[in-house]
Amino acid sequence: MPTLTYLQAISSALRDELRADDRVLLMGEDIGVFGGAFKVTDGFIEEFGPDRVMDTPLAESGIIGTAVGAAVVGMRPVCEMQFSDFISCGFDQLVNVAGKMHYRQGLAVPITVRLPSGGGFSGGPFHSQNPEAWFMHSPGIKVVAPSTAEDAKGLLHAAIHDPNPVCYMEHKHLYRRVKGEVPSGVFETPFTARVARPGSDLVVIAYGAMVPVALEATEDLDGAAVEVLDLRSLVPLDEEAILDSVERCSKVVIIDEANATCAAGAQVAALIAEKGFESLDGPVVRVATPDVPIPFSPPLEAAVLPGVDKVKEACRELLAY
Amino acid sequence: MSSSPTDVLIDVTMPQMGVSVAEGTVVAWRVEPGDRIEAEATICEISTDKIDTEVPSPATGVVTEILVPVGETVDVGTVMARIATGDGAVASPPQPLDGGTAGAPTTETKSPSPAPVAAARNGDRRYSPVVQRIAAEHGIDLSQVPGTGRGGRVRKQDVMAFVETEEPPLHIESPYRPEPVTPPGPVAEGGELSRMRRQIGEHMKRSLETAATCTTWIEVDMSRVEAVRARVGVTALAFVARASIDAIREHPSINAWLEGDRYTRHTDVNLGIAVSLGDDGLIVPVIQRAHELSVEGLAARVRDIARRARGRELTPDDVRGGTFTITNPGQYGSIMATPIINQPQVAILDFEAVIKRAVVVTDADGNDSIAIRPMTILGLSWDHRALDGALAAQFLASVKRNLESVS
Amino acid sequence: MATHMAEPAAGGADAGVEHLTTEDRIWLLRAMLLMRGLEERAMSLYRQGRVPGSFYDGYGQEAVSAGAAFAMGPRDRLCILHRDLAAHLIRGVTPSRILSQYMGREAGITHGRDGNVHFGDRNLGCVGMVSMLPDMMLVATGMAMAFKLRGEQRCAMTWFGDGSTSRGDFHEAMNWAGVQKLPVVFILENNQYAYSTPLDKQFAVDPVERAAAYGFVGVTVDGNDVEAMFEAARAARERALNGDGPTLIEAVTMRMHGHAAHDDMKYVPKEQVEEWRKRDPIERQESRLRDIGVDIDALRASVKEEIDAAAEEALAGPMPDPVTATDGVFCVGEAEPLGDGQAPWSGFH
Repeated sequence: MPTLTYLQAISSALRDELRADDRVLLMGEDIGVFGGAFKVTDGFIEEFGPDRVMDTPLAESGIIGTAVGAAVVGMRPVCEMQFSDFISCGFDQLVNVAGKMHYRQGLAVPITVRLPSGGGFSGGPFHSQNPEAWFMHSPGIKVVAPSTAEDAKGLLHAAIHDPNPVCYMEHKHLYRRVKGEVPSGVFETPFTARVARPGSDLVVIAYGAMVPVALEATEDLDGAAVEVLDLRSLVPLDEEAILDSVERCSKVVIIDEANATCAAGAQVAALIAEKGFESLDGPVVRVATPDVPIPFSPPLEAAVLPGVDKVKEACRELLAY
Repeated sequence: MSSSPTDVLIDVTMPQMGVSVAEGTVVAWRVEPGDRIEAEATICEISTDKIDTEVPSPATGVVTEILVPVGETVDVGTVMARIATGDGAVASPPQPLDGGTAGAPTTETKSPSPAPVAAARNGDRRYSPVVQRIAAEHGIDLSQVPGTGRGGRVRKQDVMAFVETEEPPLHIESPYRPEPVTPPGPVAEGGELSRMRRQIGEHMKRSLETAATCTTWIEVDMSRVEAVRARVGVTALAFVARASIDAIREHPSINAWLEGDRYTRHTDVNLGIAVSLGDDGLIVPVIQRAHELSVEGLAARVRDIARRARGRELTPDDVRGGTFTITNPGQYGSIMATPIINQPQVAILDFEAVIKRAVVVTDADGNDSIAIRPMTILGLSWDHRALDGALAAQFLASVKRNLESVS
Repeated sequence: MATHMAEPAAGGADAGVEHLTTEDRIWLLRAMLLMRGLEERAMSLYRQGRVPGSFYDGYGQEAVSAGAAFAMGPRDRLCILHRDLAAHLIRGVTPSRILSQYMGREAGITHGRDGNVHFGDRNLGCVGMVSMLPDMMLVATGMAMAFKLRGEQRCAMTWFGDGSTSRGDFHEAMNWAGVQKLPVVFILENNQYAYSTPLDKQFAVDPVERAAAYGFVGVTVDGNDVEAMFEAARAARERALNGDGPTLIEAVTMRMHGHAAHDDMKYVPKEQVEEWRKRDPIERQESRLRDIGVDIDALRASVKEEIDAAAEEALAGPMPDPVTATDGVFCVGEAEPLGDGQAPWSGFH
């Protein structure tokens, strides 16, 4: 089985989909001739041509809206927002046109929207966001967030095959830092959570780039057996897996790289408080970026993003509670 | 601890849980002498022949003494503990019970007692949901558990560690302590039989020693039952129950009690249905006046009592007054058994698995052929003191006929 | 230069006759009569409290949707807006289902999930509108993009109003369609008002001029002449299928009722309303057909009968079961694309 980086896994999924299914169409800014801002689609236009690896005008609303149109006449568009932050320009088309269409009209909209997200490299307020909570909150849209190379490929295949609009949160920080064995060919990862490391004293719940942070922070924490649960899918949220971890571990730390208020972790915390109450041996603790735009200068950015030290401290305190 | 001269002492007595119950065993105390308790709050847990239950405090006050230790069986009416109500007034008016206090373990607030108190148990102690749950499951008195969490709180691992140790931790600060609490209920890996298991055993043994128990069997073709079941979606047990009730009408002496020499034939059919409680044993709740119910009605009642039995929600009246019992352990595939009669009844019907067999069928012209039919073997254990084999066989034949003509 | 009261372009009385048979011309009138009749009936039901929410109609601008939709083939796809009921009727949505839809009944096209004209029968090739205008322009552009990528002889059509030309999606769609030269027909219903906002507050240039700015053809048409509308749409479709890209058709008309049933349009000068009443699209078509001997009264009677039967059927239908309120948020299984619609124009047979 080949070892691929997270980014290579995404490229592999896109390539395999284009080869396997005529209906698949990639749309985005600078993805064709340039090969993509992060080189995800490098070499694609040579193999698949400009019609299937489409360089669009600079128009996020246009990308999403036309993708909806193409999808309802039988195509499988995979849109790219160059940075997840720019989804705000296409918000209306995604939330009001794509998200609500099946409920209202019984008409499926099988689009995938790739959203390169997250900070940690001085991208500043408009190139570092984690906007998934906006779309968790919008009915009719699924949201997935891989943290490993294998899941990056499997979840993307599954997202493209899904008959609904799917936001695929690909984390820029993981592109080249995460490597792993990735099966070849087309395969699907289910929209469920995954126990990244089993444990019993406490569970850290995270997704995306916060999963490696969680694993590093709790690898050797005063001999405690800390479980790490990788959510992988935010909509649908794997309630069963979350409650199972809580039942076994009884202490929970939830990490959000997104701004704290109403982030995905807030929903997980609410779920645990309501349905996992009897398993709890301590308060549900969250480690999240405060409600600030992500700053540019490195010491400021490091101060706000949840890092290994912050997670370690939160776990230590809760273990001792 | 002495009470003041103006204290009124209220007795906490062993209650009578059902008309036929004569005694009960204390299984756990929720308080110790010196503790304060509110009226209606659970003061202890008891076990009787049929039902395990909680005893609400009859008064608000301070527990002065505990007279019956855990594990001891006493007659109904025996004083188990006393409460001092402080001002000469009678028990404070009962407070409205909310669902939370009835079944769940309550958190305890301790008033400072004159005796020196251990550092770990200073002031109010709160227990997290999972700690309370584990304590309830294992019958642990949380005040005995040392806490290693923040501020001395009891963490999950503390109560788990307590469960796993043989002895409770030593108390060195005061000589006045009750006997160590032994966790009730089934113990893992050897140890004593549970109270319920012992009760069941005694009942069964007594039945075999009293009755002249015989068993007769009959084969039944269940294809018509299966056909109707497919339409109506009702458990086969309900059909067997209805068929038995109808057969009882033809052979009423099956529906009787024999107590010593006294033989009572009952007109009402109060049908007992044996319900397995897993490792905990079995219980036989009774469908009162079952003869008034249709097949669907019986099915609904069976579902209901099984659910309540497994949820430990049965009342003492739910398990008395049975005149005939059916046991149906067929889901594991066993085909026959020799059931033991449920005293003081005179018969019990066993309904095991329904299995497809190749059988010989004869058509209207007398030609034989092989057919595949769902068959079952009904077994009737009966008391030869009250009836004979012929009657038992006739009864079974009626049940068979009823089942094979269902529509 | 935008004018407050745009004048319809000069169009001969027989602008569309070349491609229309008598049956076709009757069909066009019937569609408009049915639209007006249904909307009047629905307005009455609204005033009886049987139509929840808001009610919108296209009174006075029936020709814009009837004429344009008539030029669409069965495999073409439509994004229809709230004053374009005739387009739904031409595609094959029955009057009874439309009234059920207005009343929020189970038999409505959206089964009560969305209201008034926010519907599109996906089996007939129609995409249901959203309220954010003109979002649907991008969807139509996307459909056209797919047709071109696959080399199919099909086009997409969408309607939008003067007001929505001010929003970003109008420009993104116009630009995208122009850059990629897509087979899409944009029908701009210039009915003089966006709610209470008149044209001179909405644009600084006549919207039809914008087409050139985005690289394609723009035409102004008398929106109250159903046959002229048909001809413009037919020509635009031909252009699209020939690979010559999009067309912007500015259909000049007048919104004769308020923005919705709750709007009494006090902001519109009475003289303006009177001027346009003389140009009523239905009267104009009736006059044409009377001249060639068509029995208009019989047609009207037949339409009324159809509407009465539809109302009776719709009123008898149940409301949706509340238990289903959370069903269908996600599609489970295969995503089915839009189906083909009815296309009664003789040119397709």
